[in-house]
Amino acid sequence: MRSIFSIATTTVGEAIRRRVLLIILLIGVLFLVVAPGLGVLSARSETTVLRGMMLGIIQLTSAVIAIVLTVYMIPNEIERRTIYTILSKPVQRWQFLIGKYLGAVLALGLMMLLMTTVLVFTFWLQQRDASAVADLVKAPVMYFVQMSLLAAVAIFFSTFVSPLVNFFLTGGMYLLGSLFNPFFQTLSESQGTPALAKVFAQIVNTLLPNFANYNVQNPIINPQTQIQNEAAYYLQVTIYGLFYIGILLVGGILVFDRREV
Amino acid sequence: MKRRLSPLLIGFLALCLIGQGFLQRASIFPRWVRDYSPGEGKMVSEGLSPDQMLFALTGFREMIAGILWVRADSFFDSGNYDAILPVIRLVTILDPKQIDVYATGMWHIGYNFTDEEQRSDRRYIPSALALGKEGARQNDKTYEMYFETGWMWYHKIDDSYPNAVKWFETAQQQKDMLTARKNLLSNAYERNGEVDKGVDLLYRLFDDAKANAAKKDAAYGDRQNRDTLENKLDTMLVRTVQRGYVAQKEGRPLTGYDVNPPFDVGFSVKASVVEPRVIRFEGTWNVLPVGTRIRAVLKDADYPNAEPAGMKWDMSNSVNLDPPRDKTFMQDQLFVRNRRFNRKVDMSKDPTMYPFTSDRYLLEFYYNPRSAPPHIQDKFSWNGEGMTDKNFLNTEIRPGQRVVYATLELTKDQILRRGEWQDRVPVVRTKNYAEKATNADDVLLDIPSLRTK
Repeated sequence: MRSIFSIATTTVGEAIRRRVLLIILLIGVLFLVVAPGLGVLSARSETTVLRGMMLGIIQLTSAVIAIVLTVYMIPNEIERRTIYTILSKPVQRWQFLIGKYLGAVLALGLMMLLMTTVLVFTFWLQQRDASAVADLVKAPVMYFVQMSLLAAVAIFFSTFVSPLVNFFLTGGMYLLGSLFNPFFQTLSESQGTPALAKVFAQIVNTLLPNFANYNVQNPIINPQTQIQNEAAYYLQVTIYGLFYIGILLVGGILVFDRREV
Repeated sequence: MKRRLSPLLIGFLALCLIGQGFLQRASIFPRWVRDYSPGEGKMVSEGLSPDQMLFALTGFREMIAGILWVRADSFFDSGNYDAILPVIRLVTILDPKQIDVYATGMWHIGYNFTDEEQRSDRRYIPSALALGKEGARQNDKTYEMYFETGWMWYHKIDDSYPNAVKWFETAQQQKDMLTARKNLLSNAYERNGEVDKGVDLLYRLFDDAKANAAKKDAAYGDRQNRDTLENKLDTMLVRTVQRGYVAQKEGRPLTGYDVNPPFDVGFSVKASVVEPRVIRFEGTWNVLPVGTRIRAVLKDADYPNAEPAGMKWDMSNSVNLDPPRDKTFMQDQLFVRNRRFNRKVDMSKDPTMYPFTSDRYLLEFYYNPRSAPPHIQDKFSWNGEGMTDKNFLNTEIRPGQRVVYATLELTKDQILRRGEWQDRVPVVRTKNYAEKATNADDVLLDIPSLRTK
């Protein structure tokens, strides 16, 4: 356990020293700060657009950070040969992988916390509505689970593909996973869909990581939407995320364990 | 060395796989569809550039929708109405809570596509209604889209009042329904022949308005609303008596009431194709006071989902912004002046709206007292009790109502003035049509009213 913790804290330290991540974070924060001025882009209520835009900035920035942070993690250790130093100590490969993953999630959590703080501060300055701010924070919490899942996808792929391929694989998986719930809904509601296509879609919908489950911003952006038992939904999608992260980490361990480094 | 898979790991993997699959299928997905899906989960696959698509997928839907809607505004300004349709569709998919876009889009589709003589392209109305229905589904806790859809039935279709009543009633049930709009439901009840319901509603609204106006902090608008409702209720009560409605309900004879005996409107019509795609309608209607508008419809004899003097307006549940372009549906109003009407309908300048691809066409003439102005309804009453026509009175096409309905037929060759009709003016008429039924000059000197025997 201690070795996992040590690897995780070292990973956090490395992550927050990486300039590219800090630049992405800075851009995200800058956009959050100027977002209130962009409300004029819409003919609709500025508050609605502001909420949508700010949550969108956090989500997009976090996704980029999650991917960039994790795709290089294992390959870099192998390329720089630092992995030999670590594995020569009493550290199992699975401990190394889990430590790296937890470090990535912690670093991601810190960066998202910073962005959420800026979001809360900016929104508070603009709207002065405590209940709206409290409502708004729910989305970043769910985004954090989403990004943890995304990081697990990237870690899994990083055990057997190069960083560039991993970047596109994970990015594609994220888009697909974000898209598949609406796509599946359209398919299942369309009367013209053949039964076979519906069955296929059901299988894919069951097996793919559904990132769209964490896109809970709709009722936050449109407060008139009434949600039944919100807490239960959040709990379920968190458990779903943990299950999926478990699958990916075990899959990654199995691959990494058999890999020649 | 090949390592063996640990049974513990396999078990853990299986547990996680089954667990996530079960959660996703049994609980998360249905709840996501119900509570979190934007735009009923519709896919955004067309009309967005790749960068817009990426942004839309990653949480910037409202912003993209806003930018698109601002863009649509410039299309409105330049009169490029066709370009607005896909934008409306995209914006409503991206941001289905943007009620303004649904309401404006519905109005635009239903009202703005017109020919050179400002006749609406009625082939679009099912799409407009479908958009209204979708908007109401997406925004079911606010009155607006229910009201707007009801208004489309009440004002634009102006014939199928049960639908107007249904939508206005649903709008009325919403907490945010505007007070000033509530009394429109009583008009819809009236036009639907549910006079008692209309009166009851006005009483209820008047009581509420009185209570509001009596409050200490009552605004000018509260007092104005009370006065409007009082005036409306008074007028309505007078009409129920004057039109013999109360007597009829109590089973008393209608002798002496304006609606008795029924007045013969003496409808007749002649349609002449004076030029290719140009038809002149002439005819008689023995009602002197102005305000009569007879609906004239020209449509393919096999128009899909056709109904007498209309179509199944509610036929579509999906928003298809492409009307049946190979079909023709022209609807116009024939204004009666000095007991005659004479109107030239020119369809030659709008071949896309009037393609005339079928071989046979139906000309329909329709008059429903429920759409008539009050001074004419005072004689005909709500259901046409005070109106008759010895040739064209119809009690079947609109059950429970007495309407005037006549049909004629034209062929494609006749309308396009082709073949044997190249040098001859095709004329179709009702058997009772007379070229000079009244002398307009005499009538102007001695103006009879509907009450004149």
